[in-house]
Amino acid sequence: MRRRVVITGMGAITPLGNSVPAMFNALLEGKSGVSKTVHFNAKRFPTQFAAQVLDYDITPYVRDVGSWTSSGVNTQFALGAAHQALTEAGILNDSKIDRTRCGVYLGSGEGIQDFPNLIYQIASAYRSESRKMDVPAFSRGALVAFHADSEAEQELHTTAAHLAIEHDLEGPNYTCLTACAASSQAIGEATEMIRHDDADLILAGGSHSMIHPLGVTGFNRLTALSTLNEDPTKASRPFDLRRDGFVMGEGSGMVVLEELEHAKRRGATIYAELTGYGSTADAFRLTDSCEDGRGAIACIRLALKDSGLQPADIGYINAHGTSTQVNDKVETLAIKKVLGETAYQVPVSSSKSMLGHLIAAAGAVELIICVMAMRRGVLPPTINYEVPDPECDLDYIPNQAREKRASHALSNSFGFGGQNVSLVVSRFVN
Amino acid sequence: MIRGQSGIRPIRAFDTSGLPCRIASEIPQFDARKYLDKEARKSLKVMARTIKLAVAASQLALDDAKVDKSKLDPTRFGIEFGSGLIATELDELGEAAIVSANCQPGSVDLEKWAEKGLETIPPLWMLKYLPNMPACHVSILHNAQGPNNSITESDVASLLAIGEAYRILIRDQADLFLVGGAESKLNPLSLVRQCLYEPLSKRNEDPEKACRPFDKDRDGIVVGEGAGVLVLEELDHAQKRGARIYAEVVGFGASFDRDRSGSGLARAIRAALKDANLRPESIDHINAHGLASIESDVREAKGLQEVFGSCNPPIPVFAAKSYIGNLGAAGGSVELAASVLALQNGVVPKTLNYELPDPACPVTVIAKEPRPVMRDCFVKVGFTPMGQCAALIWRKWA
Repeated sequence: MRRRVVITGMGAITPLGNSVPAMFNALLEGKSGVSKTVHFNAKRFPTQFAAQVLDYDITPYVRDVGSWTSSGVNTQFALGAAHQALTEAGILNDSKIDRTRCGVYLGSGEGIQDFPNLIYQIASAYRSESRKMDVPAFSRGALVAFHADSEAEQELHTTAAHLAIEHDLEGPNYTCLTACAASSQAIGEATEMIRHDDADLILAGGSHSMIHPLGVTGFNRLTALSTLNEDPTKASRPFDLRRDGFVMGEGSGMVVLEELEHAKRRGATIYAELTGYGSTADAFRLTDSCEDGRGAIACIRLALKDSGLQPADIGYINAHGTSTQVNDKVETLAIKKVLGETAYQVPVSSSKSMLGHLIAAAGAVELIICVMAMRRGVLPPTINYEVPDPECDLDYIPNQAREKRASHALSNSFGFGGQNVSLVVSRFVN
Repeated sequence: MIRGQSGIRPIRAFDTSGLPCRIASEIPQFDARKYLDKEARKSLKVMARTIKLAVAASQLALDDAKVDKSKLDPTRFGIEFGSGLIATELDELGEAAIVSANCQPGSVDLEKWAEKGLETIPPLWMLKYLPNMPACHVSILHNAQGPNNSITESDVASLLAIGEAYRILIRDQADLFLVGGAESKLNPLSLVRQCLYEPLSKRNEDPEKACRPFDKDRDGIVVGEGAGVLVLEELDHAQKRGARIYAEVVGFGASFDRDRSGSGLARAIRAALKDANLRPESIDHINAHGLASIESDVREAKGLQEVFGSCNPPIPVFAAKSYIGNLGAAGGSVELAASVLALQNGVVPKTLNYELPDPACPVTVIAKEPRPVMRDCFVKVGFTPMGQCAALIWRKWA
């Protein structure tokens, strides 16, 4: 008998609110978390807006605020979401559970580079005539100008380590970074780890921010971002014919995944059950998904098979829905190929229309949205849906939330570079 | 390694006169084109050195395994790599930096950066440096459509990647994986960072003696670069195609050492032993993390003592970093390959530079000369300074 994995706590720090209830209520109201970029001076960038976390203070979530000044926002967002999830699960200070059987698995991004110091040092040492760096000059300057602690905090494994230290989680500890699929993958692999009896409980999720000069530079050079500067709240328009690229978001989503009997023994509240996980690769191109949707199709099928469900059992799909021309078209095709006729009866929505794209953190936050949708019996909409695209003809819950009791939901995350993850989450039935 | 030859030398990749660290384990004259066919060479242009190393090692692994891709089900062919932060080549941002850096130190005019600087940055710049790109490129080059992950857990990244692939194969979601990791910190920005926050050895004048795991006179880490890729395959699948088998992975454990005492490492090793259904006495040697920093080796020795302390005769330790330094995300897979070959050849290389035992590190180190293999299993261990630990147990394939 396979061990069952349930969700006993959730937490989120997002552009629509710094808690799960705040975020979900805003989603149901069709609010946009997008605004003019305030985290840095983006006024001459091709993209001048983003979905930003605002008014976030880590004080309630940590034991000693002073020890976090060198950490990037990726770690800071994670601290908040993790604290919320562990508190909701009732294990924040529970000394009765075996903490060596409690792990951490994050799909988490890098810290924030010290852009001003880095660029200044490069400029000081770059010789324009020869287009070459004076490396010793750069080295000497950087060694003095950079701050050792914040440089160290950029390393990718630091967030997962901090959470383990802060919350005494001594079990297996992983970080992955499969781009936009990362935190979904973290949740999926963590589920498998519990099923395999390598752990009883895992704090799983993700955290990321690329809303900084180099992040926006990178994506703008790739022309991946929407440039609808005249109307930022309308820019993220998944499945709409005029969509022109994704909108950067930031934040963190965390869930407490727990083996069922372990949860029951300690009287935990069970919010949902993680029933299916699939992981594939397109093996096609660095940026675009394969047009025939092969990676996405295989991934959704694997998740369904893992859950033991039929396509007709899926009551809601939370799409990857980035608002790029390619993703939305290919995802639609994949959903149709797997679900067949029932595809037209299953409501699909993209929360990225309101939250933007949280990159590594997107999958975890979107899974939490699926859980909330099932608990509340209301599905969040895809906003900014105004001009239908003939190639995207599913029911995207346009603009208005919809009451519907779904028992099973599918969440897709199709990463940049072709790494795909699908999760199936279900209403818990004993 | 059997000849006792160190890979640590003065750095040639760039001028290190501005840095306190001048030595590393560097791959001389690495040309990725040698490892790719003409078609595939185009993609090298968007690869940082780290990614090229991964691609080259993957090709070598597939060739060594004599994998016939035409007979593989691509949806059952996966990739699990350990990966790290990849620093940008500085000159790619040079023009943009010049037009936007103000006279004020540490100040950038972002409007000038956006208006004049952006267009000087190559369009695909970001793709050269994303940590999931090694796994991506390799999946494209070899049509690997199965499960695919990039584990970014620093010094234990490749060990966790191998462990995760092992679990995926056990649950029958793939038949074959390319596993391992790649990392090169031999570029100015990465090395500046290493100098800022890693306890590096100062023995620049004597590179081959610099990395001294467990030795009383050790003074810090030596940075290295490299890639180690293994073909990890389900047994029936391997036997059906007449594959040559080096070893079998029989146990895996992972943990977090919160109080940094080594007891977390002990737990990971015990979990791996339990997974393998083996007792400590069954282990021929420990392929150590052997970071060679003053603190890390003490912690490791405590952890190893906890598990193996009562074994008589003691289980000896081999520290590969003494030859190649710390390869970061590639370390685990490269180092364990040495023990796999040791099992095959019947002899474990000695650990270099172990000349004076340190009472704070009570371990038995294979030191003066190579040692014959006596049992058929070894354990590879690794951990990060912050506390992430992993252990993998392998058995020789007879």
